[in-house]
Amino acid sequence: MMHLITGGSGSGKSAYAEQQVMEAGEKPRIYVATMMPYGEEGKMRVKRHREMRREKQFETLECYTNLAAVTIPKGSVVLLECVSNLTANEMYDPSGAGADTVSAVVRGILNLKRQADTLIVVTNEVFSDGIVYDESTMQYLQYLGEVNQQLAAHAERVTEVVYGIPVALV
Amino acid sequence: MKMVIGGTFQGKLAYAKERYQITDGWVDGAQCEVAALETCKGVYHFHELIRNMIQNSEKEQSWITGAEDQAEAFAAWLYEKNPEIVIVTNELGYGIVPMDRFDREYREMTGRICTALAKRSEEVVRVACGLGLVIKGTKETA
Repeated sequence: MMHLITGGSGSGKSAYAEQQVMEAGEKPRIYVATMMPYGEEGKMRVKRHREMRREKQFETLECYTNLAAVTIPKGSVVLLECVSNLTANEMYDPSGAGADTVSAVVRGILNLKRQADTLIVVTNEVFSDGIVYDESTMQYLQYLGEVNQQLAAHAERVTEVVYGIPVALV
Repeated sequence: MKMVIGGTFQGKLAYAKERYQITDGWVDGAQCEVAALETCKGVYHFHELIRNMIQNSEKEQSWITGAEDQAEAFAAWLYEKNPEIVIVTNELGYGIVPMDRFDREYREMTGRICTALAKRSEEVVRVACGLGLVIKGTKETA
């Protein structure tokens, strides 16, 4: 089962996603971390998310690109956070898929779905500030929008979290 | 406590006035003091009030540190002082992470505070095109 969770910045989607993992029962819990921690703020964010997971018995798997090559214990509950980082990694990092970003991200996530009992995927709503960015950022937005649509098509549940309130989309 | 949220220029204030039948007693978050929240019936431009709070604070450390604790403390204070308040606020978190540190912190803090307030609210309505969608409420109101 795959549950896609989306929402804006500071919407409480991470907390909601972890709650979904806890409700999936006493199974091995894998956290797939995709964020390359840049600078002080990035480290702080990673630290905050780590603390949230510490007592919940997650095994953390750091994976920045190519999730298609990842093997996880069968029957586990997997939390992947977050698709916006993963997409940026595939697009910008030298180890990433570049122009093949969309299919690399989707294939990678479906690889996790095949192995997991439950896969919770957190993505990000970054599409509504009305600003026209430089070409590369617009390309990124297009990739992420396409990834989100394809993931939603493969997900059994899709939820948007609005200020901590889950709004069911599928 | 009730919240009316949504994008900018969507008719949120007009919707809130109509839904909750409040014509007087509103304060403008862009201009009022934080203390005005204790006695008003409703506040609009609430996100601007958060911006002013951050701007006026002496705090040198990043607001991201302990953002959730600060947001919880603020929400608990407001709920205790004025449990019937109607809060009209923009949703800010739906864009690319801003380059500017202040913009990032303002956006993040608004999200955290509104999440903490939504937890305490009996009703949360999201407005687009002047139309409200009750995303949290009782069976009677939804």
